[in-house]
Amino acid sequence: MKQNTIICRCEEITEKEIIKVIEQGYHSLDEIKRLLRCGMGHCQGRSCTMIIARILSQKTGQPMSKIKITTSRPPLKPISIKVLSEYKSHEE
Amino acid sequence: MKNNTADVIVIGAGIIGAATGYYLAKKKLKVYVLEKEFPCFGSTGRCIGGIRQQYTHPLSINVMKESVKIFSSLNKEFGKDIEWFPGGYLFLAHSEEQKNTYLSTIQIQHKFNLPVRFISADECNNIVNGINTEGLLGGAYCPTDGQANPFAVTYGYLQRIKELNGKVFTNSNVSKIKTSGNKAKSVITNCGEYFAPVVINATGSWAKHVSKMVGLDVPIEPERHESLVTEACERLFDPMLVDYRSDGCYFIQNYGTGHFIGCYTPVPNNPGYDRRASSEFITEMPRRMSRLVPRLKELKVIRQWAGSYEMTPDGNPIVDKTPVEGFYISAGMCGHGFMFGPALGKYMSELVTTGKTSLPLDDFALNRSFGKAEAMK
Repeated sequence: MKQNTIICRCEEITEKEIIKVIEQGYHSLDEIKRLLRCGMGHCQGRSCTMIIARILSQKTGQPMSKIKITTSRPPLKPISIKVLSEYKSHEE
Repeated sequence: MKNNTADVIVIGAGIIGAATGYYLAKKKLKVYVLEKEFPCFGSTGRCIGGIRQQYTHPLSINVMKESVKIFSSLNKEFGKDIEWFPGGYLFLAHSEEQKNTYLSTIQIQHKFNLPVRFISADECNNIVNGINTEGLLGGAYCPTDGQANPFAVTYGYLQRIKELNGKVFTNSNVSKIKTSGNKAKSVITNCGEYFAPVVINATGSWAKHVSKMVGLDVPIEPERHESLVTEACERLFDPMLVDYRSDGCYFIQNYGTGHFIGCYTPVPNNPGYDRRASSEFITEMPRRMSRLVPRLKELKVIRQWAGSYEMTPDGNPIVDKTPVEGFYISAGMCGHGFMFGPALGKYMSELVTTGKTSLPLDDFALNRSFGKAEAMK
């Protein structure tokens, strides 16, 4: 990969930016996410989280199995305010 | 000095610990910040980044005037963008009673030279194009309130601490605080023991638990609040909208990214450490948002989460020394920690180094009566 390859497409974060914060000493996905916003855009990290984990593993020597993945949060897919506000639960 | 010994240990790497640590490091003290997870794990990383001076308590207004001054200077101080944007706060009135409350709070705020004014529903529509004016009587608007990025501010402070000879220890969970002759002596974590004559409890929701380690009982209890964020879009309007009705909400368009981000205060409240997101919130919040600004209804919600407000009995923080010499507390921010953080960090650094603060913090004292509640919570 070239260093200017975009890793997080939603927030347009490049490999170079990710490597820079790892080299500054940020060695967890949670910190990288909060510093760069990668994984906080439209796809919620579906495209980039594992790629960033791999870069982190390569740069720090942590095995992939030891890298803590960031919390997945609802909704599974983006849902419009209109659809959500018209939702009625079956209990009502 | 040994590498396990500092001048000051700050427990907690949220905005309070980061800002307090920075202003102490700037006074040439060696600062260690101990964080049980990662910076912004607690309330700071879960807040929506609003910054306002519209309070009723004189001390809160003064603290926030100082904080706004600091926020507007942090880009220069950090050499990077913290996304400070003075887009204002607009508190909406949908009843005569609410309008009259704002008219009287504005009287108080004018004594502190805040440029707050009550604007008509038409003016609200000029500032927030497409706001639902049905039943809207106007709002209290302060154009010098605003927002910033909580991650950028907190990580910015921590980076500066490191540059000033301090250290930030992540994944370091404090299990014990040792004292000697009623003086703070050391802090024990899963990663080892650290020594300092000053220990500051900046642990937010966990402040009660950490204070108990030195035998103190502080009245701070977490309550669950929830938030959501939408996809980004072009800039629609600048201020934070606050609807204080019991079924109201508050939200703002993030200046840095264009996402809309918001919350509501649940009635009744949800005490405890539960930080799970609920299906009730993700359906109810969109109803409340689109009721206020119907044109938002095509925007998609991309994420929801929950966090804690760390409540005290009167809705104001506890920022004080304690009966244990060298042990200080700055916690119980009641949902205002991010915006109070920079100024309270500065004042706490004064308290630690000189024994007093340039702004008297008596109303945030540990031993106060907790009788005078904040009206604009």
